[in-house]
Amino acid sequence: MPKKLIDIQGVSKSFGDNLVIDDLTLYIRENEFLTLLGPSGCGKTTLLRMLGGFETPDQGKVIFEGKNITDIAPNKRQINTVFQKYALFTHMTIAENIAFGMKIKKHTKSYIEEKIRYALKLVNLEGFEERMPDSLSGGQQQRVAIARAIVNEPKVLLLDEPLGALDLKLRQDMQYELIRMKNELGITFVYVTHDQEEALTMSDTIVVMNQGYIQQIGTPEDIYNEPQNAFVADFIGESNIFSALMVEDKLVKILGVDFPCVDVGFGKNKPVDAVIRPEDVELEKPGSGIIDGIVTHLIFKGVHYEMEVEAHNYTWLVHSTEMFPVGTMVGIHVDPFNIQIMKKPVSEDEEAIEVEE
Amino acid sequence: MKSKTLKQLLSGPYLFWAVAFIIIPLVMIFYYGLTTPEGTFTFANVAKITTPENLKALGLALLLSFISTAICLLLAYPLAIILTGMNVNQNSFVVLIFILPMWMNFLLRTMAWQNLLEKNGVINIVLEFLHLPALEIINTPAAIILGMVYNFLPFMVLPIYNVLSKIDKDVINAAKDLGANPLQTFLRVTLPLSRPGIISGITMVFVPALTTFVISDLLGGSKILLIGNVIEQEFKQGSNWHVGSGLSLVLMVFIILSMALIAKYDKDGEGNSF
Amino acid sequence: MIKSFLKRFYLVLILILLYAPILTLIVLSFNNSKTRSKWGGFTGKWYVSLFQNKEIMNALFTTLAIALLSAAIATLIGTVAAIGISAMGKRKRTVIMGITNIPMLNADIVTGISLMLLFIAIRFSLGFTTILLAHITFNIPYVILSVMPKLKQTSKSTYEAALDLGASPLQAFLKVVIPDIYPGITSGFLLAFTMSLDDFIITHFTKGPGVDTLSTKIYSEVRKGIKPEMYALSTLLFLSVLILLFLVNMTPPEAERKKKTHPVKRILVRRVAPALLGILVLVGGVYYSTSSNVAGKKQVIVYNWGEYMDPEVLTLFEEETGIQVVYEEFETNEIMYPKIQSGAIAYDVVCPSDYMIERMIENDLLAELNYENIPNIENIGDTYLEQSKQFDAQNRYSVPYCWGTVGILYNKTMVDEEVDSWSILWDEKYQDNILMQNSVRDAFGITLKYLGYSLNSTDRDELYEATDLLTLQKPLVQAYVIDQVRDKMIGNEAALGVIYSGEAIYTQSENPDLEYVIPKEGSNVWIDSWVVPKNAKNKENAEAFINFLCRPDIAKMNFDYITYSTPNEAARDLIEDDAIRNSKIAFPDAKDLENCETFKFLGDKNDALYNELWREVKSH
Repeated sequence: MPKKLIDIQGVSKSFGDNLVIDDLTLYIRENEFLTLLGPSGCGKTTLLRMLGGFETPDQGKVIFEGKNITDIAPNKRQINTVFQKYALFTHMTIAENIAFGMKIKKHTKSYIEEKIRYALKLVNLEGFEERMPDSLSGGQQQRVAIARAIVNEPKVLLLDEPLGALDLKLRQDMQYELIRMKNELGITFVYVTHDQEEALTMSDTIVVMNQGYIQQIGTPEDIYNEPQNAFVADFIGESNIFSALMVEDKLVKILGVDFPCVDVGFGKNKPVDAVIRPEDVELEKPGSGIIDGIVTHLIFKGVHYEMEVEAHNYTWLVHSTEMFPVGTMVGIHVDPFNIQIMKKPVSEDEEAIEVEE
Repeated sequence: MKSKTLKQLLSGPYLFWAVAFIIIPLVMIFYYGLTTPEGTFTFANVAKITTPENLKALGLALLLSFISTAICLLLAYPLAIILTGMNVNQNSFVVLIFILPMWMNFLLRTMAWQNLLEKNGVINIVLEFLHLPALEIINTPAAIILGMVYNFLPFMVLPIYNVLSKIDKDVINAAKDLGANPLQTFLRVTLPLSRPGIISGITMVFVPALTTFVISDLLGGSKILLIGNVIEQEFKQGSNWHVGSGLSLVLMVFIILSMALIAKYDKDGEGNSF
Repeated sequence: MIKSFLKRFYLVLILILLYAPILTLIVLSFNNSKTRSKWGGFTGKWYVSLFQNKEIMNALFTTLAIALLSAAIATLIGTVAAIGISAMGKRKRTVIMGITNIPMLNADIVTGISLMLLFIAIRFSLGFTTILLAHITFNIPYVILSVMPKLKQTSKSTYEAALDLGASPLQAFLKVVIPDIYPGITSGFLLAFTMSLDDFIITHFTKGPGVDTLSTKIYSEVRKGIKPEMYALSTLLFLSVLILLFLVNMTPPEAERKKKTHPVKRILVRRVAPALLGILVLVGGVYYSTSSNVAGKKQVIVYNWGEYMDPEVLTLFEEETGIQVVYEEFETNEIMYPKIQSGAIAYDVVCPSDYMIERMIENDLLAELNYENIPNIENIGDTYLEQSKQFDAQNRYSVPYCWGTVGILYNKTMVDEEVDSWSILWDEKYQDNILMQNSVRDAFGITLKYLGYSLNSTDRDELYEATDLLTLQKPLVQAYVIDQVRDKMIGNEAALGVIYSGEAIYTQSENPDLEYVIPKEGSNVWIDSWVVPKNAKNKENAEAFINFLCRPDIAKMNFDYITYSTPNEAARDLIEDDAIRNSKIAFPDAKDLENCETFKFLGDKNDALYNELWREVKSH
């Protein structure tokens, strides 16, 4: 397992009365693609800016390679940032933009020229040296911003929703580009996004955040398949989330009906949250499932059909390759291992993760 | 296409106005400046600028307006930075501070400086109370410079503030991020990016300072003649409109220079003075 | 910590610089003394008398009317133009924006002059309309430059969306485009309004007789001392704007965050403020139109020296004769002359000095008076009519109004020695303590007299000698002033000042340390007389006006007010105070006037020479 590169220890930050990050602890490993994922206002950008040195935490420490860098100015950190709106220097050419950091460090002219050529090749913008930023498209400006950051050979590259302003196709292309670059450069990427698909595609590790707290840390597979609470489940992909009662081990009461499951250790008759992914809901003939319902909505989505099934006063979201027309009575079945049981939040801190409706 | 032509027609009234009240009057100045009272063509009026008195008035006006512009810039830039950093959520507040004094008549405000600067004026009474040496600048070029700085400072602050407040904070952060210390960040990024504001501020201060006759009149004790005073006298007292127009043409050379300067840095052609 | 303290400190310093003069003016508005250089105790009386001062109120309403009208018209033309310009190609746009920049960048003095030349060339008489046209001209660019950036931000598709939803182009424009650029329009309007309000130079060149904005009113008052009511008015204006803007900007932070305009603010901005302004100007306009020239009414246009008549006299005249007086003032003969000569403005009755009357007669600018209409001329002393023959050989053009001498006013606490010669004005002891007259003939007259020459000298050598002497004196002079010498001497700003005898009586009453003397070398004895220009449109009214001024009670009223010696012997007899009736200053003996001369017109060539030499002195 690669060693820890950055250690964030119990940092808090508030702006005025607004507590943005509360006692957050997290470490980032060397050569990792780590994504901070969450809705806007969850504190992910603030956290990133603390790594960059643009915000100072009110409490806690940021350790980088064993050294406390909490109060070190941004220009003294071996960390570079790719800003949300690129933040290119509009009064300089592309080459001058890229050369900026190297000139500050007083590298030789030939070294700088060599680096510019290399960087532009890396981001597929050869021949753009003398262009002005204004004359470039959004995607091109984005690549320049990346080139400008990586020529300084940072240990960590911070990216703040870098693809947010691009259109879908370009965004997907850039996702692959970024993965390629990361592998080529062999450095740590810390990536901020609110787009769960982007996070799932690119990351080694995803940190899901909400209202200043970390909700879950894990690989994309962990996060998707085993969300630890209702917020994560709701935020990552689509879900049916129920307020349920754990009757005993391996048996949960959902909408007043007993469902067999595989989870143990929650105690008897304890309130829990239960999550069922729409693709895990199986539709059968009425009476042959666990509960019965009626199809109220149907849309063709290409790979599958998306349906809404009204059952026990709950609208179930169902993805299936089989089509059931609106008005059809159906039976609903869920395999025990597809029911994810999660503890209800009890403390005030955990309250924050309640799903916002 | 049709709606576009139609839209362009909307500027018709203004174009008419501009021709009638901007272009034609300028042509009149050229006409007067390049003819004798009898109506024959001459360069003599323009050449009047070369008489020692007029050259001196022009030279002094250039010197004083240059110094005032420099002082305005030096005062305004840090001020604009501070104002930008204050993060006042309303631009209007900042603009307000500087526009508000204009609601008190400019002549009165300049006059009030007489009260402040005079030998027995407010400032000297305060200085005397503090046992400090008296400030004796009334009726000197220094007082005129003060008057210019006082009157024209807002025209320097506002454009610079406008440009600075539009600079994306992350651009500044990017420079720091790439290793630039605060001084390097300022010199290589902030300053070049604010150049349009500086240029527009300089012209907004330099031209009125160069051509004023009121400030030199009120604070210079009529002892100091600037080119503006000479022209004003030609029109209002000497009654020689031809010479006055000729000298105005000389002034216009400086104005055209500043317009060229603006045009060079204002590529969108929409101005950013306010 | 230190850094933020420094920032605050710097900000406060700049604010002090910006607001110190304003504070000064506010303090002055409560000053009981009429002169600005003396604190006479606290009073609120100027705030009362302000509203009784017709001239200032007229100027205020003219100013507001011009500011409001010019800003409104400029906003209309400018907004529409901005929309048109934004639809243009790049090249066209650049040219037009270049033209638009001209009034903004051009020197005000050049803009003002060029417009004046235009108006005079097309025989458009200078007045309210010309000021308005000029203001609209320099206001339009501010509007365009405020609206253009907003237009650039709005997307074309909103306009097209409105069309798509069934709006007519006009509806789409009014309901979609205008609300989108509304902030630009309002800020353009406010900027234009402020610029118009604060303008002096352009108004100075484009205004006509009887029309004054606050700026031009103040400028004409600067030389003779600002009326304290003006400070009171400025204070009121400033404070009302401050309060209004404060209310508008006092938005609760919560409402701000939600980007919703607070209803109170919205009502204030959209309804109350414009309504208030509108009402103000409407009321003012009514007031103004009733008090100023209404077409068909009899009127007389008077052009007089500054502060040279009791305003009450004008009211009396209007009441008694039903003739409306349009009153305008000048500061020096040299400023007055070209206005008459150009004929741009048809004045009915003017009050120049002796030598200038001679010049006007010589250049055929004056009409012969019909003395049958001026029976009160019998009250004028014969000596004065005799003296008048020096410039008006047969007493056909002029009626004497005031007379006096030029002498030295000195402060006894600062000057120990006896003052009896002009030489003291060249004494280095008094460096920076001398106030010299800022008019060609007076300055040269004094110097020529000091040298023992005639003050009407046209001898080049004598004039060059005088020029050298004046140049020599310049470093000793604190300032060249005209009427300001009064305030400055009262305020102990200088030890010695050259002053007209008429001012001496007033200054002595305000500051008993002052003494007036006619130097032994002799000086100028002058007469200011009423004349009627040839192009006068109301000659009979003018003569009625002159006759009215010659009535003993009226002449006395004027004497009490302006304290200049009156040639009206019947009026002098009415003066109750013996000390003043027999004052040597007001009515000197023939012996005192032994060496004194009257200015004569020296011909246009010599005038030009004097002017040139004077400029040489000034620019040295």
